[in-house]
Amino acid sequence: MSINIVQALILGLFASLSSMPGMGSSSVGNYTLGRPLVGGLVCGIVLGDIKTGILVGVAMQIVYIALVTPGGTVSADVRAVSYIGIPLAMLAIKTQGLDAASSQGMALATSFGAMVGTVGTVLFYGTATINLVWQHIGWKAIEKRDYKKIFLVDRIFPWISHIACSMIPTVVMCMLGAPVVEMIKTYLPMDGLAMKTLFTVGSLLPCVGIAILLKQIVRNVTDFIPYLTGFVFARSIGINLVSATVVAGMFAILVYRLKLLQVSRPAVAAGDAYDEEEDI
Amino acid sequence: MEKKLSKKALSKSFHNWYWGHLTCFSQEHMQTFGYLHAMLPLCEELYDNEDDKAKAMNTYTAFFNTEPQLGSVIVGMTAGLEESRANGDESVDDETINGLRAGLMGPIAGIGDSLVVGTVIPILLGIAMGMSGGGSPVGAIFYIIVWNLFAYFGMRYLYNTGYKLGGQAVSFLVGAQGEAIRDAVSTLGGFVIGAVSATWVSVTTAFKLVNDAGETYLSLQSKLDEVFPGLLTAAVIILCWWLMAKKKRSPIQVMLILVVVALVGCFVGFFDPGLTY
Repeated sequence: MSINIVQALILGLFASLSSMPGMGSSSVGNYTLGRPLVGGLVCGIVLGDIKTGILVGVAMQIVYIALVTPGGTVSADVRAVSYIGIPLAMLAIKTQGLDAASSQGMALATSFGAMVGTVGTVLFYGTATINLVWQHIGWKAIEKRDYKKIFLVDRIFPWISHIACSMIPTVVMCMLGAPVVEMIKTYLPMDGLAMKTLFTVGSLLPCVGIAILLKQIVRNVTDFIPYLTGFVFARSIGINLVSATVVAGMFAILVYRLKLLQVSRPAVAAGDAYDEEEDI
Repeated sequence: MEKKLSKKALSKSFHNWYWGHLTCFSQEHMQTFGYLHAMLPLCEELYDNEDDKAKAMNTYTAFFNTEPQLGSVIVGMTAGLEESRANGDESVDDETINGLRAGLMGPIAGIGDSLVVGTVIPILLGIAMGMSGGGSPVGAIFYIIVWNLFAYFGMRYLYNTGYKLGGQAVSFLVGAQGEAIRDAVSTLGGFVIGAVSATWVSVTTAFKLVNDAGETYLSLQSKLDEVFPGLLTAAVIILCWWLMAKKKRSPIQVMLILVVVALVGCFVGFFDPGLTY
């Protein structure tokens, strides 16, 4: 299996559309085309193996299921995960002769994606830096009251940033990827320490994604209780995500009503609030 | 005559926001140009005089960044405020508009991150991954359709609500009721994320003690699961949280720490993915 120039260019186009500041904007770009599950479908279609594409996409999606970018800080770049990591992981799985549905296949995909995704943050900062040039043109235009230019600044010029930071890196890495993947196979045997580590990292990395989200939610130690309750419901009682959401909704209503009750009785509320809001 | 924004201008403004809020992103001015682009059709319709138009546009050159889906409500609200200002309402000036924008972008980003990115997207992706068994494309297609319908119509609704109700649209977000809503949303988000991590994340140890006859008499993984099923998974997640929230490590640093943990763990036999050809 190898990637030809036309396939690489198509992947490059999707990479340009899909990052956090991507040309598809957040709803269609980052949150649709950038999600590894959707990226897996796109890569599968482009490379002619939808089944492997989806399986690799699912494995990587788990790592980035809760990828939030609070205040524009990114820990991984989805364009690199979905359109460089997935094609390369598909190549690696094929060269290693693994079954993409096996746990080894999934772990290999996960560590590949995470590696490329972390490196991909360079692409993110690159794009944002080149955009400064377009914004500078924009400020000049606003000073001169030349408002027609805002369209160009917001929607056309950033394409240049993406040709430099999405298109070219994707094409280069996808084209060079095949021999590198071949080399990994020769020099790093599957039962060696390096490969074992790579696979273990793959299973540990989703924890970071979840933790980023928890950082948004948990302020006091007691805020871990809803999290752990959800964990217990899914792990020990075995309910699925939709059912978990219904139960979570029930708790959310209770919290809301209790909190309002507290407000309508200020004397009691003041005392309670003091006890509860102690920082850890 | 009272000026009224046409449906066409409002729709153009919304679509400029929908397609352009993050395209010209930089660390210095994150969504500022997206916002300017969204306000342009409105200012062009409201002001015939070039000076008034420039004055209005200058208001929106201030820094802006929020969660873009839920943030549509702020864009809608400023559309309403700009209309009042064009009609000579003296209580609306640069300061009120930018005060409102600056005051709302933080809380809206907080709620948006835990509700949209933390709850809705993981749930939809979780359902979609469940449908992807054996490499079926059905799950991905389901996600593309459901998420995009939700995002497009949701954002459109928020924009229009913001325009019609103005400050009232988000009055429930400030004060005691807002605090109650934020608490309820983080309970919901926390619970769902707990379920997501128990369903999709699995950290296991291969550590075993074997007696002379070659029989395993202690398997650490099953002992840990007797204490609390999934204990190791939950512990690693909470460790990552602690490193980021309490030790102020960046996500990339945490990932590197995990690489070291994995290397040492594999070396001493704590982790073993069980690889063979």
